[in-house]
Amino acid sequence: MSRKRREALAAYAFLAPDTLGLLIFVALPMVLAFGVAFFKVDGFGNYQYVGLANYKLMAGDDQLLASLKVTAIYVVTFVPIAFVVSFALAMLVRNHFKGIGWVRSAFFLPNVVSLVVVGLIWQFLLVDKRGALSKLLAPLGLGDVSFLGTPSLALGTYVVISVWFLMGYQMLVFLAGLKDVPKDLEDAAEIDGASSWQRFRFVIWPLLRPTSFFVVVNSTIGAVTGLQAFDLVFVLTKGGPARATSTVVLYIYEQAFTFNNMGYAAALTTVVVAILVLCTGLMFGVTRGGRFDED
Amino acid sequence: MRIRILPIVAHVLAIIAVLPLLWIVISALKPVEDVFDFGWPSTWTLDNLQYVLLKIPMPRFMLNSAIVSVAVTVIALFFHSMAAYALARLRFPGRGIIFSGIMSTLLVSLPVILVPLFLVAKQLGLLDSYAGLIVPSIFHAFGIFLLRQYYLNIPRELEEAADLDGCGYWRRYWSVILPLSRPVLASLSVLFFLANWNAFLWPLTITRNPDLRVIQLGVSGMQGQYASAWNLILAAAVIAAVPTVVVFVAGQKRLVDAMKTTGLK
Amino acid sequence: MVATLPPARLSRRTLLGAFAAVPLLSACGGSSGGDGKEMSFWNFYGPSDDQGPQSKWFVDVVDEWNKNNDVKVKLRYIPGKDYLNGTTLQTAFQSGQGPDIFLISPGDFLRYYNGNVLQDLGAALSPESKADYLPGLLEARSVDGKVYGLPMEIEPLAMYYSETAFEKAGLSEADLPKTWDETLAVAEKLTGKDRYGVMFETLPGYYQNFTWYPFLWQGDGTPIKDGKVAFDSPAAVQALKFWQDTIQNKVAPRKALGDGGGDVVSNLGSGAAAMQQSGIWAVADMRAKAKNFKYGVIPHPTPAGGKAATDLGGWAFVANSKGKNPEAAAKFIAWALGSTDAAGIERQRQWNTVVKTNVPPRKSVQAAADAKGAFDDGALKKFVSEIAPTGKPEPRFPPEVYQPIADAIQACQLNAADPGKAAADAAARIDTFLKTYQGAPIS
Repeated sequence: MSRKRREALAAYAFLAPDTLGLLIFVALPMVLAFGVAFFKVDGFGNYQYVGLANYKLMAGDDQLLASLKVTAIYVVTFVPIAFVVSFALAMLVRNHFKGIGWVRSAFFLPNVVSLVVVGLIWQFLLVDKRGALSKLLAPLGLGDVSFLGTPSLALGTYVVISVWFLMGYQMLVFLAGLKDVPKDLEDAAEIDGASSWQRFRFVIWPLLRPTSFFVVVNSTIGAVTGLQAFDLVFVLTKGGPARATSTVVLYIYEQAFTFNNMGYAAALTTVVVAILVLCTGLMFGVTRGGRFDED
Repeated sequence: MRIRILPIVAHVLAIIAVLPLLWIVISALKPVEDVFDFGWPSTWTLDNLQYVLLKIPMPRFMLNSAIVSVAVTVIALFFHSMAAYALARLRFPGRGIIFSGIMSTLLVSLPVILVPLFLVAKQLGLLDSYAGLIVPSIFHAFGIFLLRQYYLNIPRELEEAADLDGCGYWRRYWSVILPLSRPVLASLSVLFFLANWNAFLWPLTITRNPDLRVIQLGVSGMQGQYASAWNLILAAAVIAAVPTVVVFVAGQKRLVDAMKTTGLK
Repeated sequence: MVATLPPARLSRRTLLGAFAAVPLLSACGGSSGGDGKEMSFWNFYGPSDDQGPQSKWFVDVVDEWNKNNDVKVKLRYIPGKDYLNGTTLQTAFQSGQGPDIFLISPGDFLRYYNGNVLQDLGAALSPESKADYLPGLLEARSVDGKVYGLPMEIEPLAMYYSETAFEKAGLSEADLPKTWDETLAVAEKLTGKDRYGVMFETLPGYYQNFTWYPFLWQGDGTPIKDGKVAFDSPAAVQALKFWQDTIQNKVAPRKALGDGGGDVVSNLGSGAAAMQQSGIWAVADMRAKAKNFKYGVIPHPTPAGGKAATDLGGWAFVANSKGKNPEAAAKFIAWALGSTDAAGIERQRQWNTVVKTNVPPRKSVQAAADAKGAFDDGALKKFVSEIAPTGKPEPRFPPEVYQPIADAIQACQLNAADPGKAAADAAARIDTFLKTYQGAPIS
């Protein structure tokens, strides 16, 4: 056997377990979703072919529309806020000062705790009237605001908690990116009389573009399909009040497992997958062939 | 002036950031009637923690989570390093396609494919079993990507020395690459352990047997059974969080290293 | 495990083409009509961690059965919130691994009936036993004269009030509200820094719908009449508006404590609510967990010109017709709840008036309880003599009818939606569904 051949065979053997696993547990489900989407599946394992009925159902589904709206609002609020907050934190803890280790850890700590625990913590802090936050706000006359019980506030509360949870992680990403900004370039700019804003605008910012791009893409995908879109709302509000925090992924879960509409849930899954594929294609197009591969 | 203020601001913000966590720990140590009291507890008690550990099968939940997290971490690191080795160091037809294929799965998260994945697991007879908790959680492109980045940076000479000794690819992987990847494997094991210990959605979807409950299910289930007993719920939450905080503190440097190495995470 | 294939129809479909590429086990799926020797019994009472009296009742009943029968019953406890609002049961049935025996509320009956998983209990039930049930109870769990579920209790709803809260607000028994307007006015006086004046369930689910129907019925409304939608009515609009007013006036919480509306101990008992709508079961809860708390019970307040009404809930034991041993499961149910011998009546008396508080569903059990003075005074007397007689059994709606109503309630109560529009929207959705519905009659 030629060396080339041997090398190739070895490579396939090394790749086999993970590739097979990804095929069965990631690729197959996506394909399967497109199959099940054409069936009406009741909660007892009975399948009935219904053609495009599940897709037609979506058009008149107000709850789906509401969930799409929730996810959209969540994305356009969470992504920029998390971006600004974590970037500010990164700038804050960029240069050494006394106790910097603990400060960085403190910002990251919420991310270590599970989303279930995060949900429980905030439920407790936000209990109506008796919770810590209500007591804190009582002197301002805001003691009986129901943060998780008022639809207009619940979504905002969910955004704030998400930011609190993820800011430390994104801060580390920014810190890693800031490491690539050469110190002497900044120093040179300072000597040339650039103000701190100018140094930021013309030296740091351009060099941070790739990192920023990664953060935005990553947090957008996370906001739509990440665990934060399920675990956190599931524990915190179960999608309530009045569906104000019902994200798309939570809605799909409910359709599948609470109302037993597996077929409809599969159809919804295909739509989300299609949107993802579209976005990915778009992203690859914009970044000319994908920034993941640095070869 | 600015230089002196910023560290103070940072410290204050850091305290605010951890305050909610701190508040929960304190509240878990309060007697039941004081749990909503807004202030330093007048008396401290370990009753809540004791109750949760002794009267509720919390140790069992933790054991289940430990089994699953450790199993997934070990198996995943093994598989991922193998795949990454091939992608980074070996030449073979279809490498580009396979790599892109693997990377594209990065965009697919569990919540998206939950429903069909459940059907797959059902067909494979994985529901309500340790295998069901472990196997589907192993496969994730992130680890492969990270390890590949790392392997790309290992000097070729090291491997070539082994080649001269007549070692096959397996031996090269096993005796050269794997030992060299100890630091990155350590970093990844911290990440993987945390992710699996904190896993909720998948166990929620496929397990019903109370003996298979993992810690996150156990804690969230407290809300159903002890809805009014915030002291117990918080005690359980604290117990669920302690191992993650310990792992984080112990592996903190590695975690940050992992992010630096790749510049990605 | 007894292996069965997924439905034949499915396996031939293209969808499984996806599977064909990979050899897969097909080890899943429930067995059907077998003669297994152990049956699982899922419930939300026992054996629980706290091993309270209700848990003990379940454990004892099963022990007693297991002593005398070859086919054993094994209990599995699922916390109430998970059972009622969770997905445990649904996922189990979805994957063909449903329990052999389980509990269902009337509201959820049709989902399981239409899914063909309910076993006809007729063969196991004696005529004396059937005749012993109060009128209407078995009918609510029957289709075409076949009984599919045996009720273990009758649970009417009413308003609980805290005597302490009334005293603190300077109110007396004369101020107890009889109308919706009075309720809003009194609740305002009772609302304070730490307390809401009145409380209704806020979590969506079968339970919330169940607690809301009485207010719909008071104005002579109903979701479905003679097989046609009737939800878009003044009665529905005013009932939606009433709950909305309690929130808009800030006299009711948007989020209840503890287990929600059914949990009187955590809300009324903790002082967080001064009046709370809940069911008869709370009498036993208060007895067990807040013994010295002073409270009373009044019928639901009515709208101007409305009539008194309440909803009669009550869970039933049902058997899974696709379980391991449906006949034995039916026998167990008939024995546990329907036995007409002295031991059977005592078992029922214990459940309905000692370990839990309900209106007993059987005449003989009521007589036995009366003889022990179970309903002689206090809240239970009020429930049995005054409130229960105004009740109607909880309606059984499939999810497609329940859901639009639930959405309307939620939108009006918590999201300030216009009740008129919400009722019309819900009616439209129900109407669409009814046009294609082919299951058992909805009532």
